[in-house]
Amino acid sequence: MKLITAVVKPHRLDEIKEALQAFGVQGLTVTEASGYGRQRGHTEVYRGAEYTVDLVPKIRIEVLVEDDDAEQLVDVIVKAARTGKIGDGKVWSVPVDTAVRVRTGERGPDAL
Amino acid sequence: MGGYGRGELSPRSDLDLLLLHDGSAGADVIAALADRVWYPVWDLGLTLDHSVRTPGEARKTAADDLKVQLGLLDARHIAGDLGLTAALRTTVLADWRNQAPKRLPELRELCDERAARQGELSHLLEPDLKEARGGLRDTTALRAVAASWLADAPREGLADARRALLDVRDALHLTTGRATDRLALQEQDQVAAELGLLDADALLRQVYEAARTVSYASDVTWREVGRVLRARRARPRLRGLLGGGGRGGAVERSPLAEGVVEQDGEVVLARAARPERDPVLPLRAAAAAAQAGLPLSLHAVRRMAAAVRPLPTPWPAEAREQLVTLLGAGPPTVFVWEALEAEGLITQLLPDWERVRCRPQRNAVHTWTVDRHLVETAVRAAALTRRVGRPDLLLVAALLHDIGKGWPGDHSVAGEVIARDVAGRIGFDRTDVGVIACLVRHHLLLVETATRRDLDDPATVRSVAEAVGSVGTLELLHALTEADALATGPAAWSSWRGALVADLVKRVGGVLAGGSASDELYGTGVAAGGAEQERLAVEALRTGGPVVALRAEGDDGVSGGGASGDGVSGGGASGGGASSAEVLGVELLVAVPEQGGVLPAVAGVLAVHRLTVRTAELRVVELPEGVAGAVLMLQWRVAAEYGSLPEASRLRADLVRALDGSLDIAARLAERDAAYPRRRGAVAPPARVAVASVGSRRATVIEVRAQDAPGLLHRIGRALEAAGVWVRSAHVSTWGANAVDAFYVTGVDGGPLAGERAAEVARAVEVALRR
Repeated sequence: MKLITAVVKPHRLDEIKEALQAFGVQGLTVTEASGYGRQRGHTEVYRGAEYTVDLVPKIRIEVLVEDDDAEQLVDVIVKAARTGKIGDGKVWSVPVDTAVRVRTGERGPDAL
Repeated sequence: MGGYGRGELSPRSDLDLLLLHDGSAGADVIAALADRVWYPVWDLGLTLDHSVRTPGEARKTAADDLKVQLGLLDARHIAGDLGLTAALRTTVLADWRNQAPKRLPELRELCDERAARQGELSHLLEPDLKEARGGLRDTTALRAVAASWLADAPREGLADARRALLDVRDALHLTTGRATDRLALQEQDQVAAELGLLDADALLRQVYEAARTVSYASDVTWREVGRVLRARRARPRLRGLLGGGGRGGAVERSPLAEGVVEQDGEVVLARAARPERDPVLPLRAAAAAAQAGLPLSLHAVRRMAAAVRPLPTPWPAEAREQLVTLLGAGPPTVFVWEALEAEGLITQLLPDWERVRCRPQRNAVHTWTVDRHLVETAVRAAALTRRVGRPDLLLVAALLHDIGKGWPGDHSVAGEVIARDVAGRIGFDRTDVGVIACLVRHHLLLVETATRRDLDDPATVRSVAEAVGSVGTLELLHALTEADALATGPAAWSSWRGALVADLVKRVGGVLAGGSASDELYGTGVAAGGAEQERLAVEALRTGGPVVALRAEGDDGVSGGGASGDGVSGGGASGGGASSAEVLGVELLVAVPEQGGVLPAVAGVLAVHRLTVRTAELRVVELPEGVAGAVLMLQWRVAAEYGSLPEASRLRADLVRALDGSLDIAARLAERDAAYPRRRGAVAPPARVAVASVGSRRATVIEVRAQDAPGLLHRIGRALEAAGVWVRSAHVSTWGANAVDAFYVTGVDGGPLAGERAAEVARAVEVALRR
């Protein structure tokens, strides 16, 4: 199994959700997050005062998937999240040892 | 004892049993007896709360533990020696009455602490039927108060309310099979079915109605207890001599507003008040109570509800202002609003309220019922009034933003129609009605767009700008969005959301800022003075002193043509008088040869005469050719705090003395303040003074947003004098209890101030106002 994590622009959530559903993903977790990447936030001028916005609002999406689907799902998310502008975010996947569905106690891929 | 004693057990309630013995039998005999009673109960699978005591022990435990005492008050004989139980009941009740002055405050503290922890049954979407305020525990406390013979609750509907709550709890125990008192979302449908109700909404409405009756009874009862105890402490000897607990003697009353006085920690009607002839009285009394942070007395509310006649349509200006003042008072607004609501005064004022009243919302994000959410939003909005140019529109939009809930379709769309209608009836002019309708229609726009649309896309920003239309409305919508989310529940607002919304607002503001924000809000084009003003100005120059004219309602048409008709709002040609909405107060014209200190002097004299300034325009008038010298023309709208207006000649005499320094206004105002007791009152957000980002070319614009108070304008004027700037013109407006002022100031050289210096002046004024 793999855990795919995506940190992307908030307004792409609906597209990503739709794309994942179309692929057959059953569930996902979404968190409100803030952060910055290569562009180190940006500088704003507001009411004459200049200040640095170093943490940009993002959403963090986490999906647990089977090994075979992981590569393709990463692509699905990237495609849905892309606007082509700075700050589109990142997607990565990491291996997962085990997963248990709390209610039934099912383990491994059955728990997905 | 307890619920078992009262005979109101629910299917899963525990049995609270006391084995009472006179101590004559040996311990082993008693223990064997107890076993024979307890074991069968346990074997039945019932939860048992048991104790074994002699009457003396029971009395002592009750003295130590308030909860035991309360349980014993409801003791009921089940089996055995009836005489023993009866004797215990008699002693326990006698003890309770004797110790009531000490123990009732303890009980109240217990109730308050529980309310703070559990919230209010009447407004929560997942309430605890027993522990929440207005729940079953409170009905028990009311019985205990009644048993003390100190005070009694208003009885109407109380027994029915208690039975209704017990029925719901029975059904809850039956459906869940557990001893739970929390009416969780997932259980509500089943409980409703068990009770034969249409759906969960019907169930919650029934619970809320019952809880409101109970909380209202609790409020009134505890206030009465407080009053009786205070009276006892104050006059124990006198009371003994007179042989009664009556509230005789002189009770101190202090005036709060016309027809409204404070008495004994409550707001009551003045003796001269005539609710049947004064349709604004309920709003005025409520606004005064909320601003003072005091409850409205039950008698006052009842009397008004019975006698008061409906307001005319549109409402008179005073009614609108009082509503805004009530809404802007912060947290005290809630209990004052509920007092009016309980007697039907709110639905009489706003018939559309009926539809949202007690309306549950099946939504996990929401904490409150719709009506309470609306009031809570106004409370949150009151804290944000310094951020907007029109606090009155913010507060009214906050109260109405979800008024469309309960109608088919999108509640924002339905709400817009209702809000437009209500705002018109309340007496706002056409432009303001449009702004309120727009705020209601789009109250979810900012948060939805910010979290779900691409802010980098110019089309996104443009579409919001088109919907909102102006910087002033955007500012209002931003504040409304935040107030709404804060009043929804903990999940609805976060710094994450706040940052996204602020980003969107900044971008939309940039698109809308094509026009001048400052011009839009205050209107800079002061119309030509007209014949009357010119006459006053010439007179002022001739006499070398101030000239004062007071103009009552009705004799309009002096201040230069073009009054009314175009529906432009906000400080137009005659200080708001040009709009079609009725305005409050009378017009005051003062012409003074140009000199220093005019603004604080005039403002101070008005404050000393108990006149509140609603709007004020100050400017230098140009006189026709051939007349030398400059005259400051002040065109103000003022209203008396109470009673009638003073004569113009008296104002003039004091103004002359104020200008030559022989009248110490600061001392007179301080004296007046000291004569009145300090009240807890509503805590208003602190004053905010800023340099307007878009100023005029000839002057620096200092914006002041503050809680209106006697002498506020005087203090601002003094602070500006002290900062060494000249006030070239001023635009002062009052919206409910909020003052929104703009001062066009210059340095002594007659030019606008440099950036640093302007900020310094603004800071100095802010410091002076926060002191």
